[in-house]
Amino acid sequence: VITTVTIFIPLLGAILMLFLPDEARTLRYGALGVAAVPLLLATYVYFAFGGNLDAAALSQDVTWIGSLNVGYRVGLDGLGFGMFYLTTLLTLIAVVASWDVRENLKQYLAILFVAELGMLGVFAAQDMILFYVFFEITLIPMYLLVGIWGDENRRAAAIRFFIYTFLGSTVMLAGFLAFGILAGSYSMDSLSAGGGLSRTAQIAVAAPILFGLLIKVPAVPLHGWLLDVYVSSPTSTNVVLSGILPKLGTYGLIRIAIPLLPDGVEPFLPYIAALGVVNVLYGSFVAFLQPDLKALVAYSSIGTLGFILLGAASQNAVGLNGAVFQQVSHGLYSALLFILVGVIAARTGTRRISELGGLAARMPWAGGLLALGALAAMGLPGLAVFVSEFMSIMGGYETFPVQGVLAALGIILSAMYMLYMLARVIFGPIERPAYEGATDAGPVEMAAVVPLAVLLLALGIFPALLISVQRPAVDAVLSAIGGG
Amino acid sequence: VVTGEALLALLPELVATGFLILVLMVGVFADRNVVLVAGLAALGSLAVFGSAAVLLVIGFSGSFFGGGFVVDAFALYFKLIVAGSAFFAVLAAARWSGYTGDAGEYLTLILSVVLGSILLVSMRDLFGLFLAIELATIPSYAMVAFDRTRRESAEGGMKYLITGVIASSVLLYGIVLIYGVSGSAELADVARAFSADLSPVVVIGLVLLLSGFAFKVSAAPFHFWTPDAYQGAPTSAAAFLSVAPKAAFFAILLRVLLEGMPEAAPTWTAVMAFLAIITMFVGNLFALRQRNVRRMLAYSSVAHSGYILAAFAALQGQALQTAVEAVLVYSAAYAVMNLGAFLVIDLVGEDTKSFNGLIKTRPGVALSMLVFMASLVGIPPLSGFFGKLWIIIAGAQSGSVAVYVVVGALVINSVLSVPYYFGIVRNMLFEEPAGPVSPKDDSSALRFSVYVLAVATTLFGLLIIPLSTLVQSSGLL
Repeated sequence: VITTVTIFIPLLGAILMLFLPDEARTLRYGALGVAAVPLLLATYVYFAFGGNLDAAALSQDVTWIGSLNVGYRVGLDGLGFGMFYLTTLLTLIAVVASWDVRENLKQYLAILFVAELGMLGVFAAQDMILFYVFFEITLIPMYLLVGIWGDENRRAAAIRFFIYTFLGSTVMLAGFLAFGILAGSYSMDSLSAGGGLSRTAQIAVAAPILFGLLIKVPAVPLHGWLLDVYVSSPTSTNVVLSGILPKLGTYGLIRIAIPLLPDGVEPFLPYIAALGVVNVLYGSFVAFLQPDLKALVAYSSIGTLGFILLGAASQNAVGLNGAVFQQVSHGLYSALLFILVGVIAARTGTRRISELGGLAARMPWAGGLLALGALAAMGLPGLAVFVSEFMSIMGGYETFPVQGVLAALGIILSAMYMLYMLARVIFGPIERPAYEGATDAGPVEMAAVVPLAVLLLALGIFPALLISVQRPAVDAVLSAIGGG
Repeated sequence: VVTGEALLALLPELVATGFLILVLMVGVFADRNVVLVAGLAALGSLAVFGSAAVLLVIGFSGSFFGGGFVVDAFALYFKLIVAGSAFFAVLAAARWSGYTGDAGEYLTLILSVVLGSILLVSMRDLFGLFLAIELATIPSYAMVAFDRTRRESAEGGMKYLITGVIASSVLLYGIVLIYGVSGSAELADVARAFSADLSPVVVIGLVLLLSGFAFKVSAAPFHFWTPDAYQGAPTSAAAFLSVAPKAAFFAILLRVLLEGMPEAAPTWTAVMAFLAIITMFVGNLFALRQRNVRRMLAYSSVAHSGYILAAFAALQGQALQTAVEAVLVYSAAYAVMNLGAFLVIDLVGEDTKSFNGLIKTRPGVALSMLVFMASLVGIPPLSGFFGKLWIIIAGAQSGSVAVYVVVGALVINSVLSVPYYFGIVRNMLFEEPAGPVSPKDDSSALRFSVYVLAVATTLFGLLIIPLSTLVQSSGLL
């Protein structure tokens, strides 16, 4: 019941937003209040049930569409809990970071809450059809957030996002339905590995599911929708868009495709690992060439998503734990960077790297945190990303040595472009007198980024905080696929 | 013999007849008092809805009048859809019909279509069926042609009349041939004519019957009257005709096929598969080219007929029960979203450009339209998704390769339909308002209908709980 309440509180929030007076201060405080509730509930769940997410208090299984055997089945497990928690946190931060939304704030916040509902639902769904329903609930809100509040490129970006992901998810649904009908159930809990399907049938079912999930990530040849969408979104949409949305895809891979269709996914695993490497290398190379700070962060984000794919494909404890962990650490660092890019662009009036410089002197806090985020992105030990990337690479190397080595190269590349970026943006002379008077990040902006920075450090130093929660679920996946 | 029970069985029809006469009379004597007339018509729709609901709740069922008239959960379910749709059509028509000065007549026509449609779904006799179809369609020709201020209305009405009459003749000819072989018009006897090897006469009868129905439900290639009729018709007429009588046609077609010719299933499922595929593609491909929202929705209704026909193609093997359920669920899901989409036209305009910037000028209406469009695409958790989900599952269970192809076509068509539905959404969200919007009608009754339908479309995921129990437990056909 707690899970259901947490999922649907954002809906109440969305309705509340529509009835609040149209005054920015009231709306923001109201939204903060609403967004805090799921976060508090998720925090309570962590401390009360952290070691025992199977508890009955967290799960629900009621008949929904009886004659189709589709149930409203929700529950939490170690694979999804990290992202479930992060969703509640990043939504709160997105509300804080909504300072650059000046028009129709009321509607913006309401739509943001609807998106939160969908995302929380995905990480809690235990029924494939329900998973799909929540998965698609995020589609229209994200389309609206980008399409209405984005910059001048927003229209093309929003439509492309819509078409790509709708196509992907429709194909994915076909896979789910075929699987459910052949196996006789859509319940992710009660289906045994493979659901009694032959290897050929599993492959036929797994292919469309993987296609849909990889578009959502996006894995590199399927990433055509991404750049415009990321670059033209408002900052707080970026937080959700890069922090959570790609993980709908990777989570589906780890939670549904790999454990439930082990034989069907198995022939694809080397390619998934290879796609991960392509993401890492391509993202890093292209990031290197970006003149625009936000585009650089966007490609960096694509790059580090690759480690999730690599770790997920590894089929061993280290790699899978790394992949699950990387979902969270990627969300933390990319949200941090996107917010700081937004802050810097607001103060200096530009996002072009060539026009920036010497920010450390003018904006020590923002600059310092940007440096922290960049260091996190390149996998500096002591920060969360290091733990998960390292584990993903180790796990990946064990199963796919070539892919593992190439992915490790990606870390070097990311260090190169991030350091190069830092050198030009943070250090060096102040390029333009125009923003000599630029002030440092204010208290609101700091409130948005400091929690992320703290968590990056905390999880970097004490990874057990998260690993202890996810390990039982990862072990369950491994026993399902017969590895170890 | 007319017993008390038979009267109870006819309760919805009797209520409809009573209100029909009442509205006509009051309309004559109080033609200025639109609120009274429309209020009575709305009350009449609710009374029909209520009486059908009562019969459904008490589990009333049986055959009456020599077996030609049947009341069962299946029939009552469709009576609910027809009466519910009529309620919103009446509300939406209230203000406009007052302007015409003939509110009484127009609303009487709506109730006549209701009467014909709810009779139709209870028919178990081919001739009774034909009469009920005529009772439902003849008033609808007049409804389409009712708007004397627009030439397209008369044109649409005329085209609809001519094609409709031809379709009825074809249908009747088919019925007569089948009757000639079976010697009886009752479905149970008809089934015997279809049990042995199909004789050529029966095959011709079947083809004519199915062609007649294809006209009525605007399945391609018999759909060409639809865009003209719906474009010309008053908005409330197009909205109502595209959901209520059409649902009744699909219902009775289902009954005729399953009760009257179960042995010929391989033949007619093949025909349905063929019709389904071309209907979907024709509807969507033509809808893509439209700049007029009425016309676009008319082609969209053709496409959706194709989706429902896909469920008919799946009426075989393991999938029988699921496919019947799919028709029921889809009809309800389609009724709420398509009524809503059509009714928005009177609030905004019929050119796609009149939707420009609607999110800024009328956010509530824009949001409702967004819901209807997304639902017509089939995006969860909106009503259209559940309809399609049911059809796809039925198709997957059928175990027939031909049906897999149909379901594949349905998935492709869902993606294909995104550009035109979301073309309107794009205009609403991303374009600048062209100027002050002058809605054709801005009555609170119309806005109320649109908002209620938008909420129903959105919360269909909750409605589906009782609905799925109902369709599952009622033992349908």
